Amino acid sequence: MAEKTYICRADEIQVGTPFIAKVRSLSIGVFRIGDSFHALLNVCPHRGAPLCEGPQCGTTAPVEGPEFIYHRENEIVRCAWHGWEFDIKSGTALVNPSVRARTFAVTVEAGGIYVTA
Amino acid sequence: MFIVDCDCHNYWSSATVLEPYLSGVWKDMFIEGEKTGPVGAFPHGHRPWFHPQDFSRKDVRPKVEADNYLIMKDKHLDKYDIGVAILTGDEPIEASTLANPYYASALVSAYNDYQINEWLPKDSRFMGSIVIAPQDPRLAAAEIRRLGAHPRMAQVLASQGSVRPYGDPFYHPIFEACAEVGLPFAIHLGGHGGINWNAVAPAPTTFFWETHAILHMSAMSHVASMIAHGVFEKWPDLYFVLIECGIAWVPSVLWRLDADYKALRKETPWLKMLPSEYSRRNIRFSTQPLEQPSNVNHLWAILEAMDGENTLLFASDYPHWDYDDVNTLHIPPEWRGKVLGQNALDVYKRIPRPQAAAAA
Repeated sequence: MAEKTYICRADEIQVGTPFIAKVRSLSIGVFRIGDSFHALLNVCPHRGAPLCEGPQCGTTAPVEGPEFIYHRENEIVRCAWHGWEFDIKSGTALVNPSVRARTFAVTVEAGGIYVTA
Repeated sequence: MFIVDCDCHNYWSSATVLEPYLSGVWKDMFIEGEKTGPVGAFPHGHRPWFHPQDFSRKDVRPKVEADNYLIMKDKHLDKYDIGVAILTGDEPIEASTLANPYYASALVSAYNDYQINEWLPKDSRFMGSIVIAPQDPRLAAAEIRRLGAHPRMAQVLASQGSVRPYGDPFYHPIFEACAEVGLPFAIHLGGHGGINWNAVAPAPTTFFWETHAILHMSAMSHVASMIAHGVFEKWPDLYFVLIECGIAWVPSVLWRLDADYKALRKETPWLKMLPSEYSRRNIRFSTQPLEQPSNVNHLWAILEAMDGENTLLFASDYPHWDYDDVNTLHIPPEWRGKVLGQNALDVYKRIPRPQAAAAA
């Protein structure tokens, strides 16, 4: 049964430095993108590496030719080991959306971050 | 289970750690000379392509020099209960890319002394590698003889990039020295650049992932060359270990070598066995990175064809970006005891047997 757990104060999470929290036996990374917060299980669905300890970054947009459009800044996390890119909001892998990192609902109440897991 | 990690990279925060181990003109050049990388980088002839995200895992972030070991111990050695980790250094094998063989040899000697003094004492699980600069085989052989009796040196290590395929008689002084001191000769991915300009057959590649995916092309050349030139007839007990060179290509190359040898054996009359038989007896391949087909049975059929149960050695490649951990290694479960540790005992004879027996 999922329950809501207090993680930290919202101002403790900066863009680029997710808060890695322990919720029961789960390691969960809480990311800030602008003013919104998103939580991902800190386990990469590829090989089980610490997904949330990689860089929070952007990526190149799909294009038809040799053009490099850097976009979605801070919306992507690259897994700490093998560099697979995941959409922080949806948990989906960019190279194959059927591969998903587990996501959790995040709520902000009175300046505190809560994750439902 | 007794686990031997055949490819554990000991990092440094800056190549300046080598300064106390260099002297005379080499120390002068090391401190004052031009370097191809960032400040403190190890000198090497730079490769034409580069990693877009750095080579290291992002959860391995040393802040001070001592962290390099402490993080390895925490995130790798202790976490996976590694019995023996064979240190493979990192930048030092790139000395093979320098045109100046004297400087290159001085650099690897300094690295080897640094490894012996500053890494091996840190952990009883460590075994070392005698890194050589193969561009001058006489100097490389001298380095092998200088340190060959050290009880914790497990192998002689060169880069996969080279000026000629390694079976060439030019390199035979290296194998003679390996045989004399009783150590395997290993090559590790890298050293593509500088004087080793012919990284892959057509010309240098452009992107890192493109390059990394096909780097086994030069490993194919080395396997064919070592067998064809009769290295394993001259030194029948010599093990040749290919680290981080891929696996799935091995059966196809051996099938071709066997077929062509049967037709054209007169070119190499010194051979007494089929190429695949030399490979089975004398060549070992490290697992990392195992190919990742969407259907793992496709990989396992190939591993079966190369007698992988007996010819594969586990390697993690810690802390590089394509690290493999013990628990997610995609090999048949009944092979795990041999591939993760027992096969390595045949190759690395200096691994303490009581340590292995106690953990097995």
